[in-house]
Amino acid sequence: MMAPDISRFLLAVLFSASCRVIIASDQICIEKEANKTYNCENFGLSEIPDTLPNTTESLEFSFNFLPAIQNRTFSRLINLTFLDLTRCQISWIHEDTFQGHRQLSTLVLTGNPLIFMAETSLNGPKSLKHLFLIQTGISDLKFIPVHNLENLESLYLGNNHISSMKLPKAFPTRNLQVLDFQNNAIHYFSREDVRSLGQATHLSLNFNSNDIKAIEPGAFGSTVFQSLNFGGTFNLSVIFDGLQNSTTQSLWLGTFEDMYDQDVSSDMLRGLCEVSVESLNLQKHHFSDFSSTTFRCFTRLQELDLTATHLSELPSGIEGMNSLKKLVLNANNFDQLCQVNAASFPSLTHLSIKGNMKKLQLGVGCLEKLGNLRKLDLSHSDIEASDCCNLPLRNLSHLQSLNLSYNEPLGLQHQAFKECPQLELLDLAFTRLRVNPPQSPFQNLLFLQVLNLSHCFLDTSNQQLLAGLPVLRHLNLRGNPFRDGTIPKTNLFQTVGSLEVLILSSCALLSIDQQAFHSLRNISHVDLSHNSLTGDSMASLRHLKGIYLNVAANNIRIIPPRLLPILSQQSTINLSHNPLDCTCSNIHFLTWFKENLHRFEGPEDTLCTNPPSLRGVKLSDVQLSCGITALGIFFLIVFLFLFTVLLIFAVKYLLRWKYQHI
Amino acid sequence: MKGFTVALLAWTLISPCKGSSGSGSREAWPTHIACRDGGLEMLYQSCDPLQDFGFSVDQCSKHLKPNINIRFGIILREDIKELYLDLALFSKGSSVLNFSYPVCEESLPKFSFCGRRKGEQIYYAGPVNSPGFDIPEGKYQVLLELYTENRSTVACANATVICS
Repeated sequence: MMAPDISRFLLAVLFSASCRVIIASDQICIEKEANKTYNCENFGLSEIPDTLPNTTESLEFSFNFLPAIQNRTFSRLINLTFLDLTRCQISWIHEDTFQGHRQLSTLVLTGNPLIFMAETSLNGPKSLKHLFLIQTGISDLKFIPVHNLENLESLYLGNNHISSMKLPKAFPTRNLQVLDFQNNAIHYFSREDVRSLGQATHLSLNFNSNDIKAIEPGAFGSTVFQSLNFGGTFNLSVIFDGLQNSTTQSLWLGTFEDMYDQDVSSDMLRGLCEVSVESLNLQKHHFSDFSSTTFRCFTRLQELDLTATHLSELPSGIEGMNSLKKLVLNANNFDQLCQVNAASFPSLTHLSIKGNMKKLQLGVGCLEKLGNLRKLDLSHSDIEASDCCNLPLRNLSHLQSLNLSYNEPLGLQHQAFKECPQLELLDLAFTRLRVNPPQSPFQNLLFLQVLNLSHCFLDTSNQQLLAGLPVLRHLNLRGNPFRDGTIPKTNLFQTVGSLEVLILSSCALLSIDQQAFHSLRNISHVDLSHNSLTGDSMASLRHLKGIYLNVAANNIRIIPPRLLPILSQQSTINLSHNPLDCTCSNIHFLTWFKENLHRFEGPEDTLCTNPPSLRGVKLSDVQLSCGITALGIFFLIVFLFLFTVLLIFAVKYLLRWKYQHI
Repeated sequence: MKGFTVALLAWTLISPCKGSSGSGSREAWPTHIACRDGGLEMLYQSCDPLQDFGFSVDQCSKHLKPNINIRFGIILREDIKELYLDLALFSKGSSVLNFSYPVCEESLPKFSFCGRRKGEQIYYAGPVNSPGFDIPEGKYQVLLELYTENRSTVACANATVICS
């Protein structure tokens, strides 16, 4: 009699256990967009959880366990457009697996040990556009079923055992835009290999890390490519021979730290004369005989990237490079800006010398022949100058964007950027600036819209610091302390009335004067986060409406009722990480907060600090009633009662006294 | 007897369920030896709760040569078009050195593995451009973290270096 009871009980336990698994898997998938986007990564699931809605469109299912996938595996989720099955230990993809998935456009199968894909395994989707078969053990391109690839735009085949890029005869290439063979074993290309690309034009082909040893001369001839990447190939002449007469927008021939490097000689680059290229990258190569003849075949280039090519000088007297628009010389070893010999590139509009390995001297007028220069990046280059920047930037009258961030101290005099009156963007972040008050270094930058002065150690009490910037929209002053932690009534913002975005985070602010932002009428975004401001500073925003206001990580405890109208007129507010008070002394704000929850950014981090019993509770969850308590009402009634009794007695006594003396 | 059978059945069915729910506390990854030679011992443990990784240093010595060769094997859980290394060195509980170094950037992919994608297995055997220096005697704690532009962890290591 006992045994069946126990077994029934255990069956119940068993049943509840299997229920728990379903509940657990319910919690596993993270909802990123309701009913549409779910993430179920890293849970070793062996099937699609029942709890995923049928309407799911985007599913990240990587790092789970699906040894074989077939028709019924995903059959319920017919609206899938994106399916990521990275490293799910898939060995088999059986017939008609995606038959019902008409909308599927991206399928990721990276890192699965595929043994076989059935002939009809990819049938079903109306337009399958992106297919990732990276590191799936493919050695023969015939492995990929071709029946439903007419709409394929990108095919990723990296990290396999492919030794020939020749596509099978039936392979549709009409819509193909990206074909990625990174890190395979392709050592040779024949004309026939390239011919298999069929009608595809403006294709991006990636053969990075393939150790290419030979190409049949002209194999790529008379084809037009969007981009070609032969990264890590050390014998560049092999590549150029193969590319004879071809046309490509961008050619990437850089190498890497871990590659065996053969010096590039000027002879090797001769082949470039036969190729039509707009943009060329040669990063990390060593050049054996760098001279003006090295550039003989570069004359048609529009962009040249020589990042980290161990250069300490560009030769003077390079001829015919009139069409070069963009030159990247990052991470090289220049001592002096003049060593770039910029005069050889008169049409240059973009120049980048970022992350120079040595201390870069700006010199005088080194770039003065670059009258067309629009964009100059000299960041992270250890630049130090006591009097910047008119002499070094002489004649750059068309410069629109200048980046001098992350450098050594710069001394700025009055009108320090007079030579570049067209500047629209100036980035000086993390470069210490020396400005003597009351000088105005940015005076007369009539077009400057964006100015980044974060962590520049500025003297913010200089009221003329920002004078002469009539159209400045975006100002970043993060990390610059103000004197006494206060922004006074008269301050440096009075000259920049056109500001729309103002960033004053991490400025060690304690208070802001009520009138401090009075001249800022157009502002739409104020970031005051990471200071020590209290609720009272909010009064300085009285005249502003509809702004984004970030006061996260300050010292705001109580927001008095008189300030609530000021907050009410703003569109988005971030009050997170403040020591907010959740007692009755803050009841008006707390009530208002709940009514205006939609205005708040980061409500999950907007927590109470006081009283201790509510510490860490979300402000939106707090329930307070701050009327008179029951005890108070009781005492009030008792008091009134006693008072009435006393009054009656007094009147009675008074009347009696009066009558007795008549 | 019947009850016992059912109990056993129930137990075997419940046990793997707990495993798959992923909520159970997992043991820490084992501590591995990156190198042990020439008066230097380097031990490390993965601090990524999701996976372990393999790492070793060739020619281990307290007179560390420049551009040492390493071997490194891992499965990527993120695309590494952009990859950064943070290193924090502690000695006797106090911080000695902190630095951040870009390994892969879109504008400068330093290594051939830059640009590989989530799910790829990576094996790297080659140089790292490290400076040569002599390691003073002592015991050091090193925290290494590789992460992407979204601050998603690619690898995390708690290492101990003992130089005697």
